[in-house]
Amino acid sequence: MKELKKLLVLVTVAMVSMMTLAVSCNEPEPEPEPEPEPVVKDYNFDLFVCAVKHGGMSQNKNGTYVRSVPSLTADQPRVEFTGKGVDITQDYTLESITKGKYYYQVPQKATGGFVKFHIGRNAAGEESIVEDAEIPFKDNTYSARKYTHAWTDDNTLVIIGTASKTTKIIWTKLKDSSTGLSVDSEGTFDINLPEGFNAFSTAGLLTYRPSDRKLYYFYLTKPASGQSDAATSKTWIAIINPSTMAVESNTEVPGDVMEETAGSAYGELMQSMIMHDETGNLYLAGLKTLDGKEMGVLRRIKAGSQTFDTSYNGFPNPEGKLLTVQYLGDGKALCYSRDENLGTKIDSKSHFYSIINLTDGSRSRVKYNGTDLQYCGGRFSQRSVVVNGKAYIGVGGETEGEEEATFPTIYIYDCKTGVVEKGVELSKGFCFDIIRAMDVE
Amino acid sequence: MGFKKQGVSILLAVCLTTVSFAQDSLKVSGALDDTLTLRQSTVTAKSREQALREGAFAVGALNIRLQASTLQSLAQAIDKTAGIRIREEGGVGSDFDLSINGMSGNSIRYFLDGMPLDAKGTGMTLANLPVNIIDHVEIYKGVIPASFGSDALGGAVNIITNRRTRNYLDFSCGFGSFHTHKADFSAQYTGKKTGIVIKPVISANYSKNDYLMRDVKVRNEEHTAFVIRDLPRFHDDYLSLFGQLEAGVVDRSWADAFFVSASVSKIDKDIQTGATQDNVIGMAERHTQSLGISSRYEKTDFLTEGMQLLASVSQTFDHAWTIDTTYRRYYWDGTYIDGSYSEIRHRGKTLRHYRRPLTVVRANLDYRFARGHDVALNYTLNRVVNRQEDTWDEDFVPTGDVLAKHVVSLSYDQSLLSGRLNNAFFVKDYINHLTVGQEELPSTTGADKVKGSSTQNYLGGGVGSRFLFLEELAMKGSYEHSVRLPISREVLGNGSTVYPNLALKPEVSENFNLGLFGTAGLGGGHSLSYEVNGFVRLVDNYIRAQMSETESMMQYVNVAAVHIKGVDGEVRYDWAGKLHLAVNASYDDSRDMRKYTQSGDISITYKNRTPNRPWAWCNAEVSYTFRNVGLRDSRLRLSCDYQWVHWFYLTWEAFGSASSKSKVPTQHITNASLLYAWHDSRYNVSLECTNLFDALAFDNYRLQKPGRAFFLKFRLFL
Repeated sequence: MKELKKLLVLVTVAMVSMMTLAVSCNEPEPEPEPEPEPVVKDYNFDLFVCAVKHGGMSQNKNGTYVRSVPSLTADQPRVEFTGKGVDITQDYTLESITKGKYYYQVPQKATGGFVKFHIGRNAAGEESIVEDAEIPFKDNTYSARKYTHAWTDDNTLVIIGTASKTTKIIWTKLKDSSTGLSVDSEGTFDINLPEGFNAFSTAGLLTYRPSDRKLYYFYLTKPASGQSDAATSKTWIAIINPSTMAVESNTEVPGDVMEETAGSAYGELMQSMIMHDETGNLYLAGLKTLDGKEMGVLRRIKAGSQTFDTSYNGFPNPEGKLLTVQYLGDGKALCYSRDENLGTKIDSKSHFYSIINLTDGSRSRVKYNGTDLQYCGGRFSQRSVVVNGKAYIGVGGETEGEEEATFPTIYIYDCKTGVVEKGVELSKGFCFDIIRAMDVE
Repeated sequence: MGFKKQGVSILLAVCLTTVSFAQDSLKVSGALDDTLTLRQSTVTAKSREQALREGAFAVGALNIRLQASTLQSLAQAIDKTAGIRIREEGGVGSDFDLSINGMSGNSIRYFLDGMPLDAKGTGMTLANLPVNIIDHVEIYKGVIPASFGSDALGGAVNIITNRRTRNYLDFSCGFGSFHTHKADFSAQYTGKKTGIVIKPVISANYSKNDYLMRDVKVRNEEHTAFVIRDLPRFHDDYLSLFGQLEAGVVDRSWADAFFVSASVSKIDKDIQTGATQDNVIGMAERHTQSLGISSRYEKTDFLTEGMQLLASVSQTFDHAWTIDTTYRRYYWDGTYIDGSYSEIRHRGKTLRHYRRPLTVVRANLDYRFARGHDVALNYTLNRVVNRQEDTWDEDFVPTGDVLAKHVVSLSYDQSLLSGRLNNAFFVKDYINHLTVGQEELPSTTGADKVKGSSTQNYLGGGVGSRFLFLEELAMKGSYEHSVRLPISREVLGNGSTVYPNLALKPEVSENFNLGLFGTAGLGGGHSLSYEVNGFVRLVDNYIRAQMSETESMMQYVNVAAVHIKGVDGEVRYDWAGKLHLAVNASYDDSRDMRKYTQSGDISITYKNRTPNRPWAWCNAEVSYTFRNVGLRDSRLRLSCDYQWVHWFYLTWEAFGSASSKSKVPTQHITNASLLYAWHDSRYNVSLECTNLFDALAFDNYRLQKPGRAFFLKFRLFL
């Protein structure tokens, strides 16, 4: 009798299961989900200007001023700095790590610590610096500006610099969580200078590639510390496990790929030189010497690979150095480069913006109303930012002669349509250096 | 006739009194008991300081001899003069910057008896020169007499040493807060028959400078966060030693005075902070050693009657070195972590040596061809060899360059209308000779344009005039087209953080001064004197440091221009040599008149107030002297002074919101002192309290100065 009951239960379960399966098989195929609309976030735009001379890299003592504005469209009032904005000259550097609404940096004031702050507003409604945290380092110490960084997750920040007259490469892992900012761990990489080389680059360039969860550290070896002839340098890639900070590989980049990275002293604290596309390709701006001049190259490490694709150059036939690159989506990038024939000084008006088609390396100047955006001064500038499907591009004002003086202006490039509209203006005469998009509080 | 003799006697007595006791202008009323008649007479004598003030040039004069018993340093006294501001970085021996009517730094030249102070070694400054040897200080504002043969642009400080003729011994020692100890010894022996004079000087200063730093950041016990504490400085020891022996003859047929001297100095200084107190240093040091030899010759009626020759020559061997060989990051509690870079330069380790042999030659020929008419010819050579090497950093390439400056000047002084009108005219020829050994980075340094050696020539000149309307009202004005030749650091760099700029042009300035002054006797021993000066400085090719495109390197460049306008004034009151009151105030407005940046753009700072410099300040001083307190021939002097400095912005005032800008705050500093002297000032004891109310004091951004301090000094003068 018991066996019969068991049999009935089994038959019943089997029938129900088969019926369920049959019903499921008869359901129509689900509609493909529409591509989600990009999330439009609210940002404040922090605009950095310097007096007299462009900032960045050189320690501009003439003053660095920041305004934080909610929009950069043309309907906004002109951004003024006379009696307005935050004067950060003494305490903080232009160069900074940013995430969300926060800035992170080794401050100018040299307290021996690492600081986290944001730009808020005081009771009078004026922008002001609000210091959220400042912690001392443990054993590894860093000079203001001279380090490179990468976030390996929302709470973990890795910074790398050099020590002992740029003969050792040191790292520090910091945590910023609900419990506060802290030094998690630190160490020195087991990377030695090869024979014939006496110095590493000041900081190198660090990036985290989510597709293989590795840190890519690009650095140089040079005959001597300080400025050197690019042709005498060598570029290296160290691939680092972010959990253990172990160097998993360390390989030399062939000289015909690049002699140096586009920048190596200050990481990407100011200028973007590394970008990632949707498929996990990694791009790096670099330079090679051609006819005695340093010319830009844009190289790629394909998704899944850990070495450069030697056949790829996204910046062929360069007019000069490639300075910054920012990914726009759909295989396009915004680049800021220099025409060597128009001057190579920091303030030379020889720098311009282009859109690169990363597929074939073709590029065209960014135009407004059919006219190229003007050449700008500012070798060490990052006057462009890409958010919400738009690139906000800052162009320095023309100030040679009071009569002809024009205002520095933001142009807004729509990444999908390629349409450029004119945005807000800034007051005359300042050296316009950085736009940063910061989360709204 | 008899009265005339007595008058002369009284005048001499008054002069001696002036020498022996404190007051700038002395007016003596006395009853003269003549054998025939009893007559009331009033004799007025002007102190040398007062006479200087009444010259054709804008001069501040300060009697130091009278304050030698109380002063800690010469800089402290000069800082209380109208139009002068001294900004100190810390305590005893700290670096300082003196400004005269808005010009500062290398624009100001320092002299000791007319010879460049550098001849005593680069370590000898207003902060450590022994005050006992000083008689008075002349501070020339903007326009500088041709006799200095100087290329100063903003002014000059000329320290005049004692020229006593009698034998003496002057010894003082003192100690005070922050483990400060000082001792000075000077003496003079004069052989009455032989005319031989021997003058030894020895001086020593030491301080730990361990004053309390308030609200500084240190790590908590776990080293995970910063906490705020008040902690003493721990690496700021300062030691200076100076010795000099001068020997010579006076009153010989072939020389009024002929002296040779040898001096040695040694400065050892710990370095406690970088540019701000946030950057704490615990190991780096700076040392300076100098050996100097010199001689001077003076002769009146040289070659012909009315001609005077002053000639001097000196050779100084100066060696300075900075030790920055530790990779440590210190905190104010003295703890440290083994860092990644050196303490001062934040780079590799260095032990940098600077050897700068300096040769100075000065000759001044003055000829009085008629009463009240003098012409003078002056020649000055200043030659420095600049050698640098590093005994730690093997990558450093030693350098060696030579910079020689010749200044020839011709002046004509006239005194008209019975001395009521004094005029001075002068022209100067500046010759700059540069020999360049270095060839590195020619596009940056201009070495390709200035190969080998080069010579450049510049002309300057000026005029000064003073007219005495009344004793109570006089006016003086002066003008100079002045040229300042760049100093070696500016042209040749420093081998480490400063690039050479071999093509650097001299600074040129048009200096104007206009002043009113006078003294009024109010009767009953009361006297009031005043002076007010307006000035304009129009400086072109202003030499300023500019950060280079390569980080941490800078270079001096010419920029046009800076215009400074201002006014300073002083009122002094004296009652019978007992009560003394003085108040002075200074204001200047310095504007950046550089219209275009290097790239040709309109400069945003055009017509803006120059940042990071005080522009309004005042001093007030009161003292009262009691006589015969306790002992016969004794005096007790109580004094108090107060200084106020208006706050100022560190960066350009126009940009950024006021609430976000860094400021050097307003200062209110009060000092008090007590001096007791007895046995005709043979013995002196003084007690000083500086910063009486323990105010938080800053001359520079985030560089705290000492709080309340006490100093006790004993002086013996035989």
